[in-house]
Amino acid sequence: MHFPKELKYTKTHEWVRFTDENTAYIGITDYAQDQLGDLVFVNLPAPGDALTAGESFADVESVKAVSDVNAPVTGTVEEVNEELADAPEKMNESPYDAWFVLASGITGTDELMDADAYEAMIASEA
Amino acid sequence: MISAIKVFRSTTVVPYDNIAMETFLTMHVQEGECILYLWQNQDTVVIGRNQNAWEECRVQRFRENRGHLARRLSGGGAVYHDLGNLNFTFASRRADHDPARQSEVILRAVRKLGIPAERTGRNDMEAGGRKFSGNAFYEHRGCCCHHGTLMVHVNLDRMEEALTVSVAKLRSRGVQSVRARVVNLRSFRPDLEIETLEACLTEAFGEVYGLKPEKLDSARLDGTEISLESARMASEEWILGRRIPFSAVMEERFPWGGVRLELTVRDGKVEEALCWSDAMNEQIIPAFGQALTGCPYDGEMLARRILDKTACLDPGMAAGVSRMILNQTDGADP
Repeated sequence: MHFPKELKYTKTHEWVRFTDENTAYIGITDYAQDQLGDLVFVNLPAPGDALTAGESFADVESVKAVSDVNAPVTGTVEEVNEELADAPEKMNESPYDAWFVLASGITGTDELMDADAYEAMIASEA
Repeated sequence: MISAIKVFRSTTVVPYDNIAMETFLTMHVQEGECILYLWQNQDTVVIGRNQNAWEECRVQRFRENRGHLARRLSGGGAVYHDLGNLNFTFASRRADHDPARQSEVILRAVRKLGIPAERTGRNDMEAGGRKFSGNAFYEHRGCCCHHGTLMVHVNLDRMEEALTVSVAKLRSRGVQSVRARVVNLRSFRPDLEIETLEACLTEAFGEVYGLKPEKLDSARLDGTEISLESARMASEEWILGRRIPFSAVMEERFPWGGVRLELTVRDGKVEEALCWSDAMNEQIIPAFGQALTGCPYDGEMLARRILDKTACLDPGMAAGVSRMILNQTDGADP
Protein backbone atom coordinates (compact mmCIF):
# COMPACT_ATOMS: atom_id res chain seq x y z
CA MET A 1 0.00 0.00 0.00
CA HIS A 2 1.42 3.41 -0.83
CA PHE A 3 0.63 7.06 -0.20
CA PRO A 4 2.33 9.51 -2.55
CA LYS A 5 3.98 12.38 -0.73
CA GLU A 6 2.71 15.07 -3.10
CA LEU A 7 -0.97 14.36 -2.29
CA LYS A 8 -3.18 15.53 0.58
CA TYR A 9 -5.53 13.13 2.39
CA THR A 10 -8.73 13.05 4.46
CA LYS A 11 -9.87 11.04 7.48
CA THR A 12 -12.47 9.39 5.23
CA HIS A 13 -9.80 8.14 2.79
CA GLU A 14 -9.97 10.51 -0.16
CA TRP A 15 -6.91 12.03 -1.81
CA VAL A 16 -6.43 15.50 -3.33
CA ARG A 17 -3.85 16.45 -5.97
CA PHE A 18 -3.52 20.22 -6.32
CA THR A 19 -2.60 21.49 -9.79
CA ASP A 20 -2.56 25.05 -8.47
CA GLU A 21 -3.73 26.73 -5.27
CA ASN A 22 -7.45 26.54 -6.14
CA THR A 23 -7.71 23.54 -8.45
CA ALA A 24 -7.29 19.85 -7.70
CA TYR A 25 -8.03 16.29 -8.75
CA ILE A 26 -9.91 14.12 -6.22
CA GLY A 27 -10.01 10.35 -5.76
CA ILE A 28 -10.03 7.56 -3.17
CA THR A 29 -6.89 6.17 -1.53
CA ASP A 30 -5.16 2.84 -1.87
CA TYR A 31 -6.38 2.02 1.64
CA ALA A 32 -9.99 2.86 0.69
CA GLN A 33 -9.99 0.63 -2.39
CA ASP A 34 -8.42 -2.19 -0.37
CA GLN A 35 -11.13 -1.93 2.30
CA LEU A 36 -13.96 -1.70 -0.23
CA GLY A 37 -12.89 -4.69 -2.33
CA ASP A 38 -13.50 -5.05 -6.07
CA LEU A 39 -15.29 -1.96 -7.33
CA VAL A 40 -18.01 -2.48 -9.92
CA PHE A 41 -19.71 0.90 -10.28
CA VAL A 42 -19.26 4.58 -9.59
CA ASN A 43 -21.90 7.35 -9.56
CA LEU A 44 -20.21 10.64 -10.35
CA PRO A 45 -21.55 14.20 -10.02
CA ALA A 46 -22.00 16.49 -13.04
CA PRO A 47 -19.81 19.44 -14.07
CA GLY A 48 -20.98 22.56 -12.26
CA ASP A 49 -22.13 20.67 -9.14
CA ALA A 50 -21.07 22.18 -5.82
CA LEU A 51 -18.76 20.26 -3.49
CA THR A 52 -18.92 20.74 0.28
CA ALA A 53 -16.02 19.50 2.37
CA GLY A 54 -17.07 16.45 4.40
CA GLU A 55 -20.28 15.82 2.47
CA SER A 56 -20.97 13.01 0.04
CA PHE A 57 -20.46 13.93 -3.63
CA ALA A 58 -20.29 10.48 -5.26
CA ASP A 59 -20.89 6.85 -4.35
CA VAL A 60 -19.21 3.62 -5.26
CA GLU A 61 -20.46 0.05 -5.38
CA SER A 62 -18.09 -2.78 -4.57
CA VAL A 63 -18.82 -6.48 -4.35
CA LYS A 64 -19.36 -5.79 -0.62
CA ALA A 65 -21.47 -2.64 -0.40
CA VAL A 66 -22.54 0.76 -1.70
CA SER A 67 -20.60 3.54 0.07
CA ASP A 68 -20.44 7.33 -0.01
CA VAL A 69 -17.39 9.21 -1.19
CA ASN A 70 -17.02 12.51 0.66
CA ALA A 71 -15.76 15.73 -0.84
CA PRO A 72 -12.36 16.46 0.73
CA VAL A 73 -12.71 20.18 -0.05
CA THR A 74 -15.35 22.78 -0.86
CA GLY A 75 -15.48 23.91 -4.50
CA THR A 76 -17.11 23.33 -7.87
CA VAL A 77 -16.89 20.30 -10.18
CA GLU A 78 -14.95 21.48 -13.21
CA GLU A 79 -14.52 18.16 -14.99
CA VAL A 80 -15.74 14.58 -14.45
CA ASN A 81 -13.74 11.45 -15.29
CA GLU A 82 -16.26 9.65 -17.52
CA GLU A 83 -13.64 7.01 -18.34
CA LEU A 84 -13.70 5.93 -14.71
CA ALA A 85 -17.45 5.27 -14.98
CA ASP A 86 -16.68 2.88 -17.85
CA ALA A 87 -13.85 1.16 -15.99
CA PRO A 88 -14.48 1.24 -12.21
CA GLU A 89 -11.80 -1.44 -11.70
CA LYS A 90 -9.24 1.33 -12.27
CA MET A 91 -9.93 2.42 -8.66
CA ASN A 92 -8.51 -0.92 -7.52
CA GLU A 93 -5.71 -1.14 -10.04
CA SER A 94 -4.39 2.36 -9.86
CA PRO A 95 -6.18 4.43 -7.21
CA TYR A 96 -4.07 7.58 -7.61
CA ASP A 97 -4.65 7.76 -11.38
CA ALA A 98 -8.36 7.02 -10.99
CA TRP A 99 -9.52 10.59 -10.32
CA PHE A 100 -13.26 11.24 -9.90
CA VAL A 101 -13.46 14.96 -10.56
CA LEU A 102 -11.34 18.02 -11.14
CA ALA A 103 -12.50 20.69 -8.68
CA SER A 104 -12.00 24.43 -8.96
CA GLY A 105 -12.52 27.41 -6.64
CA ILE A 106 -11.31 25.35 -3.72
CA THR A 107 -11.65 26.41 -0.08
CA GLY A 108 -12.00 24.43 3.15
CA THR A 109 -8.61 22.74 3.10
CA ASP A 110 -7.98 22.99 6.87
CA GLU A 111 -8.72 19.36 7.59
CA LEU A 112 -6.44 17.91 4.93
CA MET A 113 -3.48 15.80 6.05
CA ASP A 114 -0.11 15.16 4.45
CA ALA A 115 0.97 11.63 3.56
CA ASP A 116 2.83 11.03 6.82
CA ALA A 117 -0.11 12.08 8.99
CA TYR A 118 -2.51 9.97 6.91
CA GLU A 119 -0.27 6.92 7.11
CA ALA A 120 0.04 7.37 10.88
CA MET A 121 -3.74 7.61 11.18
CA ILE A 122 -4.23 4.34 9.28
CA ALA A 123 -1.56 2.62 11.36
CA SER A 124 -3.35 3.67 14.56
CA GLU A 125 -6.72 2.42 13.22
CA ALA A 126 -5.40 -1.02 12.29
CA MET B 1 -21.19 -1.51 21.63
CA ILE B 2 -24.80 -2.54 21.13
CA SER B 3 -26.87 -1.90 24.25
CA ALA B 4 -30.38 -2.03 22.82
CA ILE B 5 -31.97 -4.24 20.17
CA LYS B 6 -35.27 -3.30 18.54
CA VAL B 7 -37.65 -5.20 16.29
CA PHE B 8 -40.10 -3.63 13.90
CA ARG B 9 -42.57 -5.45 11.65
CA SER B 10 -43.89 -3.74 8.54
CA THR B 11 -47.63 -3.55 8.01
CA THR B 12 -47.55 -2.92 4.25
CA VAL B 13 -46.66 -5.10 1.26
CA VAL B 14 -45.96 -2.17 -1.10
CA PRO B 15 -42.23 -2.16 -1.90
CA TYR B 16 -41.79 1.63 -2.11
CA ASP B 17 -43.27 2.11 1.37
CA ASN B 18 -41.13 -0.69 2.76
CA ILE B 19 -37.91 0.62 1.24
CA ALA B 20 -38.75 4.12 2.49
CA MET B 21 -39.32 2.78 6.01
CA GLU B 22 -36.04 0.87 5.83
CA THR B 23 -34.19 4.03 4.79
CA PHE B 24 -35.81 5.98 7.63
CA LEU B 25 -34.82 3.37 10.21
CA THR B 26 -31.28 3.19 8.81
CA MET B 27 -30.76 6.96 8.82
CA HIS B 28 -32.25 7.42 12.30
CA VAL B 29 -30.83 4.45 14.19
CA GLN B 30 -29.16 5.55 17.40
CA GLU B 31 -25.65 4.89 18.67
CA GLY B 32 -25.49 1.57 20.49
CA GLU B 33 -28.72 0.38 18.89
CA CYS B 34 -29.42 -2.33 16.33
CA ILE B 35 -32.82 -2.43 14.62
CA LEU B 36 -34.16 -5.57 13.00
CA TYR B 37 -36.86 -4.67 10.48
CA LEU B 38 -38.97 -7.45 8.95
CA TRP B 39 -40.99 -6.82 5.82
CA GLN B 40 -42.63 -8.43 2.80
CA ASN B 41 -43.42 -7.24 -0.70
CA GLN B 42 -46.18 -8.42 -2.96
CA ASP B 43 -45.03 -9.62 -6.41
CA THR B 44 -41.99 -7.38 -6.83
CA VAL B 45 -38.75 -7.37 -8.76
CA VAL B 46 -36.14 -5.40 -6.83
CA ILE B 47 -33.10 -4.37 -8.79
CA GLY B 48 -29.76 -3.26 -7.36
CA ARG B 49 -28.92 0.41 -7.04
CA ASN B 50 -26.75 0.48 -10.13
CA GLN B 51 -28.59 -1.88 -12.44
CA ASN B 52 -30.38 -1.22 -15.69
CA ALA B 53 -34.04 -2.20 -15.21
CA TRP B 54 -34.42 -3.46 -18.78
CA GLU B 55 -31.43 -5.76 -18.44
CA GLU B 56 -33.04 -7.50 -15.46
CA CYS B 57 -36.75 -7.64 -16.20
CA ARG B 58 -39.21 -7.26 -19.08
CA VAL B 59 -40.42 -4.06 -17.51
CA GLN B 60 -43.65 -3.46 -19.36
CA ARG B 61 -44.79 -7.07 -19.47
CA PHE B 62 -44.07 -7.63 -15.78
CA ARG B 63 -45.98 -4.49 -14.82
CA GLU B 64 -48.91 -5.42 -17.03
CA ASN B 65 -49.18 -8.58 -14.93
CA ARG B 66 -49.49 -6.31 -11.90
CA GLY B 67 -45.92 -6.74 -10.70
CA HIS B 68 -44.08 -3.92 -8.94
CA LEU B 69 -40.64 -2.91 -10.09
CA ALA B 70 -38.45 -1.29 -7.44
CA ARG B 71 -34.85 -0.16 -7.08
CA ARG B 72 -33.12 -0.48 -3.75
CA LEU B 73 -30.30 1.60 -2.29
CA SER B 74 -27.84 -1.25 -1.89
CA GLY B 75 -25.80 -2.81 -4.65
CA GLY B 76 -25.86 -6.23 -6.27
CA GLY B 77 -28.30 -8.02 -8.53
CA ALA B 78 -32.02 -8.36 -9.15
CA VAL B 79 -34.22 -10.43 -6.83
CA TYR B 80 -37.88 -11.42 -6.82
CA HIS B 81 -40.17 -11.04 -3.78
CA ASP B 82 -43.67 -12.31 -3.12
CA LEU B 83 -45.50 -13.10 0.11
CA GLY B 84 -43.60 -16.39 0.32
CA ASN B 85 -40.47 -14.35 0.98
CA LEU B 86 -39.51 -12.52 4.18
CA ASN B 87 -37.03 -9.64 4.07
CA PHE B 88 -34.84 -8.65 6.97
CA THR B 89 -32.91 -5.44 7.57
CA PHE B 90 -30.30 -4.73 10.23
CA ALA B 91 -29.83 -1.00 10.75
CA SER B 92 -26.96 0.31 12.85
CA ARG B 93 -24.32 3.03 13.05
CA ARG B 94 -20.96 2.30 11.45
CA ALA B 95 -19.25 1.59 14.79
CA ASP B 96 -21.97 -0.96 15.66
CA HIS B 97 -22.21 -2.52 12.21
CA ASP B 98 -21.15 -6.18 12.24
CA PRO B 99 -22.20 -8.23 9.20
CA ALA B 100 -20.84 -11.49 10.62
CA ARG B 101 -22.80 -11.13 13.85
CA GLN B 102 -25.93 -10.02 12.00
CA SER B 103 -25.65 -13.02 9.66
CA GLU B 104 -25.28 -15.22 12.74
CA VAL B 105 -28.77 -14.09 13.82
CA ILE B 106 -30.21 -15.32 10.51
CA LEU B 107 -28.29 -18.60 10.53
CA ARG B 108 -29.23 -19.30 14.14
CA ALA B 109 -32.91 -18.64 13.44
CA VAL B 110 -32.94 -20.96 10.43
CA ARG B 111 -31.02 -23.67 12.30
CA LYS B 112 -33.63 -23.51 15.08
CA LEU B 113 -35.99 -24.91 12.45
CA GLY B 114 -33.68 -27.87 11.93
CA ILE B 115 -32.39 -26.54 8.61
CA PRO B 116 -28.60 -26.73 8.08
CA ALA B 117 -27.92 -23.13 7.04
CA GLU B 118 -24.49 -21.74 6.25
CA ARG B 119 -22.99 -18.50 5.04
CA THR B 120 -21.31 -18.83 1.67
CA GLY B 121 -19.27 -16.36 -0.29
CA ARG B 122 -19.73 -12.86 0.94
CA ASN B 123 -23.38 -12.21 0.39
CA ASP B 124 -25.32 -15.48 0.36
CA MET B 125 -26.77 -18.02 2.76
CA GLU B 126 -27.35 -21.56 1.64
CA ALA B 127 -28.91 -24.81 2.75
CA GLY B 128 -28.13 -28.08 1.02
CA GLY B 129 -25.89 -26.24 -1.44
CA ARG B 130 -28.65 -23.91 -2.64
CA LYS B 131 -29.26 -20.25 -1.85
CA PHE B 132 -32.22 -19.21 0.29
CA SER B 133 -30.97 -15.74 1.19
CA GLY B 134 -29.16 -13.04 -0.76
CA ASN B 135 -27.67 -10.16 1.22
CA ALA B 136 -26.62 -6.64 0.32
CA PHE B 137 -25.22 -3.62 2.12
CA TYR B 138 -25.02 0.14 1.98
CA GLU B 139 -23.58 2.88 4.11
CA HIS B 140 -24.65 6.52 4.04
CA ARG B 141 -23.50 9.27 6.42
CA GLY B 142 -22.15 6.75 8.88
CA CYS B 143 -25.38 4.72 8.99
CA CYS B 144 -25.28 1.12 7.81
CA CYS B 145 -27.89 -1.14 6.30
CA HIS B 146 -27.53 -4.92 5.92
CA HIS B 147 -30.54 -6.54 4.34
CA GLY B 148 -31.52 -9.74 2.64
CA THR B 149 -34.22 -12.07 1.42
CA LEU B 150 -35.42 -15.27 3.09
CA MET B 151 -37.19 -17.63 0.70
CA VAL B 152 -39.85 -19.62 2.53
CA HIS B 153 -42.40 -20.52 -0.13
CA VAL B 154 -41.74 -18.21 -3.08
CA ASN B 155 -43.55 -19.01 -6.32
CA LEU B 156 -40.53 -20.17 -8.34
CA ASP B 157 -42.34 -20.18 -11.69
CA ARG B 158 -43.38 -16.57 -11.26
CA MET B 159 -39.86 -15.73 -10.10
CA GLU B 160 -38.38 -17.30 -13.23
CA GLU B 161 -40.86 -15.47 -15.42
CA ALA B 162 -40.30 -12.15 -13.66
CA LEU B 163 -36.53 -12.30 -14.02
CA THR B 164 -36.56 -13.39 -17.64
CA VAL B 165 -35.19 -10.70 -19.90
CA SER B 166 -36.04 -9.47 -23.37
CA VAL B 167 -34.71 -10.80 -26.67
CA ALA B 168 -33.15 -7.42 -27.49
CA LYS B 169 -29.48 -7.48 -26.58
CA LEU B 170 -28.84 -4.81 -23.98
CA ARG B 171 -25.46 -3.42 -23.04
CA SER B 172 -24.68 -0.94 -20.27
CA ARG B 173 -22.10 -0.16 -17.64
CA GLY B 174 -24.69 -1.22 -15.04
CA VAL B 175 -23.98 -3.97 -12.52
CA GLN B 176 -24.74 -7.48 -13.78
CA SER B 177 -26.81 -10.01 -11.85
CA VAL B 178 -25.41 -13.42 -11.01
CA ARG B 179 -27.79 -16.35 -11.43
CA ALA B 180 -27.91 -18.73 -8.49
CA ARG B 181 -29.61 -22.03 -7.71
CA VAL B 182 -32.22 -21.14 -5.13
CA VAL B 183 -34.28 -23.09 -2.64
CA ASN B 184 -37.34 -22.42 -0.50
CA LEU B 185 -36.98 -23.23 3.21
CA ARG B 186 -40.22 -25.20 2.90
CA SER B 187 -38.24 -27.78 0.91
CA PHE B 188 -36.70 -28.67 4.29
CA ARG B 189 -39.69 -27.87 6.54
CA PRO B 190 -42.95 -28.28 4.55
CA ASP B 191 -45.04 -26.84 7.40
CA LEU B 192 -42.97 -23.66 7.78
CA GLU B 193 -44.95 -20.41 8.05
CA ILE B 194 -43.57 -16.88 7.74
CA GLU B 195 -44.75 -16.14 11.31
CA THR B 196 -42.75 -19.07 12.67
CA LEU B 197 -39.59 -17.81 10.98
CA GLU B 198 -40.24 -14.32 12.35
CA ALA B 199 -40.52 -15.67 15.89
CA CYS B 200 -37.25 -17.60 15.45
CA LEU B 201 -35.52 -14.47 14.13
CA THR B 202 -36.57 -12.38 17.12
CA GLU B 203 -35.47 -15.12 19.50
CA ALA B 204 -32.10 -15.58 17.76
CA PHE B 205 -31.59 -11.79 17.69
CA GLY B 206 -31.84 -11.75 21.51
CA GLU B 207 -29.56 -14.76 21.93
CA VAL B 208 -26.78 -13.53 19.62
CA TYR B 209 -26.68 -10.06 21.25
CA GLY B 210 -27.41 -11.27 24.79
CA LEU B 211 -30.17 -8.67 25.09
CA LYS B 212 -33.93 -8.67 25.22
CA PRO B 213 -35.46 -7.58 21.90
CA GLU B 214 -37.89 -4.69 22.35
CA LYS B 215 -40.54 -3.44 19.98
CA LEU B 216 -39.47 -0.25 18.24
CA ASP B 217 -41.51 2.70 19.50
CA SER B 218 -43.54 3.87 16.51
CA ALA B 219 -43.60 7.41 17.94
CA ARG B 220 -40.06 7.68 16.51
CA LEU B 221 -41.35 7.41 12.95
CA ASP B 222 -41.74 10.61 10.97
CA GLY B 223 -44.63 10.04 8.58
CA THR B 224 -43.82 13.04 6.40
CA GLU B 225 -40.20 12.05 5.85
CA ILE B 226 -41.18 8.45 5.13
CA SER B 227 -43.89 9.33 2.61
CA LEU B 228 -41.54 11.72 0.78
CA GLU B 229 -38.97 8.94 0.48
CA SER B 230 -41.68 6.51 -0.59
CA ALA B 231 -42.73 8.86 -3.41
CA ARG B 232 -39.09 9.10 -4.53
CA MET B 233 -38.76 5.30 -4.51
CA ALA B 234 -41.96 4.94 -6.56
CA SER B 235 -40.98 7.55 -9.15
CA GLU B 236 -40.13 6.46 -12.68
CA GLU B 237 -37.12 8.71 -12.46
CA TRP B 238 -35.62 6.61 -9.66
CA ILE B 239 -36.76 3.20 -10.93
CA LEU B 240 -35.96 3.55 -14.61
CA GLY B 241 -34.27 6.84 -15.17
CA ARG B 242 -31.06 6.76 -13.22
CA ARG B 243 -28.02 7.89 -15.11
CA ILE B 244 -27.15 4.52 -16.56
CA PRO B 245 -27.17 4.81 -20.33
CA PHE B 246 -27.51 1.57 -22.27
CA SER B 247 -27.75 0.32 -25.80
CA ALA B 248 -30.37 -2.07 -27.14
CA VAL B 249 -29.85 -4.07 -30.32
CA MET B 250 -32.69 -5.79 -32.16
CA GLU B 251 -32.29 -7.87 -35.29
CA GLU B 252 -34.55 -9.85 -37.57
CA ARG B 253 -34.55 -11.24 -41.10
CA PHE B 254 -37.65 -10.45 -43.13
CA PRO B 255 -38.55 -11.76 -46.62
CA TRP B 256 -37.53 -8.34 -47.95
CA GLY B 257 -34.17 -8.18 -46.07
CA GLY B 258 -32.45 -8.15 -42.71
CA VAL B 259 -32.85 -5.30 -40.20
CA ARG B 260 -30.58 -4.31 -37.34
CA LEU B 261 -31.78 -1.56 -35.04
CA GLU B 262 -29.42 -0.06 -32.48
CA LEU B 263 -30.85 2.27 -29.85
CA THR B 264 -28.90 4.36 -27.37
CA VAL B 265 -31.06 4.95 -24.30
CA ARG B 266 -30.37 7.58 -21.66
CA ASP B 267 -32.66 8.38 -18.72
CA GLY B 268 -35.24 5.98 -20.18
CA LYS B 269 -35.45 7.79 -23.55
CA VAL B 270 -34.03 6.90 -26.96
CA GLU B 271 -31.21 9.37 -27.55
CA GLU B 272 -30.05 7.93 -30.84
CA ALA B 273 -31.48 5.24 -33.11
CA LEU B 274 -29.57 3.74 -36.01
CA CYS B 275 -30.93 1.27 -38.52
CA TRP B 276 -29.06 -0.96 -40.94
CA SER B 277 -30.53 -3.15 -43.63
CA ASP B 278 -29.70 -4.87 -46.90
CA ALA B 279 -33.24 -4.15 -48.08
CA MET B 280 -33.72 -2.32 -51.38
CA ASN B 281 -35.88 0.46 -49.97
CA GLU B 282 -33.42 3.29 -49.34
CA GLN B 283 -35.88 5.75 -47.92
CA ILE B 284 -37.53 3.80 -45.13
CA ILE B 285 -34.37 2.42 -43.47
CA PRO B 286 -33.07 5.74 -42.05
CA ALA B 287 -36.71 6.71 -41.37
CA PHE B 288 -36.99 3.79 -38.91
CA GLY B 289 -34.14 5.27 -36.90
CA GLN B 290 -35.45 8.83 -37.08
CA ALA B 291 -38.92 7.72 -35.98
CA LEU B 292 -37.59 6.39 -32.69
CA THR B 293 -35.36 9.27 -31.59
CA GLY B 294 -36.75 10.89 -28.44
CA CYS B 295 -39.26 8.10 -27.75
CA PRO B 296 -39.41 6.54 -24.24
CA TYR B 297 -37.88 3.03 -24.19
CA ASP B 298 -41.17 1.16 -24.06
CA GLY B 299 -42.01 -1.61 -26.52
CA GLU B 300 -45.51 -0.44 -27.33
CA MET B 301 -44.60 3.20 -27.72
CA LEU B 302 -41.64 2.39 -29.96
CA ALA B 303 -43.76 0.04 -32.08
CA ARG B 304 -46.49 2.65 -32.47
CA ARG B 305 -43.96 5.31 -33.50
CA ILE B 306 -42.76 3.10 -36.35
CA LEU B 307 -46.32 2.63 -37.63
CA ASP B 308 -47.24 6.31 -37.26
CA LYS B 309 -44.14 7.68 -38.95
CA THR B 310 -43.09 5.10 -41.54
CA ALA B 311 -46.20 3.18 -42.64
CA CYS B 312 -46.76 5.85 -45.30
CA LEU B 313 -43.45 4.82 -46.92
CA ASP B 314 -44.08 1.06 -46.91
CA PRO B 315 -46.87 -0.35 -44.73
CA GLY B 316 -45.59 -3.95 -44.94
CA MET B 317 -42.04 -3.15 -43.88
CA ALA B 318 -43.26 -0.79 -41.15
CA ALA B 319 -45.57 -3.48 -39.75
CA GLY B 320 -42.69 -6.00 -39.75
CA VAL B 321 -40.27 -3.72 -37.89
CA SER B 322 -43.01 -2.62 -35.50
CA ARG B 323 -43.73 -6.26 -34.62
CA MET B 324 -40.03 -7.01 -34.25
CA ILE B 325 -39.70 -4.22 -31.67
CA LEU B 326 -42.75 -5.40 -29.74
CA ASN B 327 -41.53 -8.99 -29.68
CA GLN B 328 -37.96 -8.24 -28.76
CA THR B 329 -38.50 -5.64 -26.05
CA ASP B 330 -41.30 -6.79 -23.79
CA GLY B 331 -43.99 -8.66 -25.58
CA ALA B 332 -43.21 -12.24 -26.51
CA ASP B 333 -41.74 -15.19 -24.68
CA PRO B 334 -38.13 -15.71 -25.58
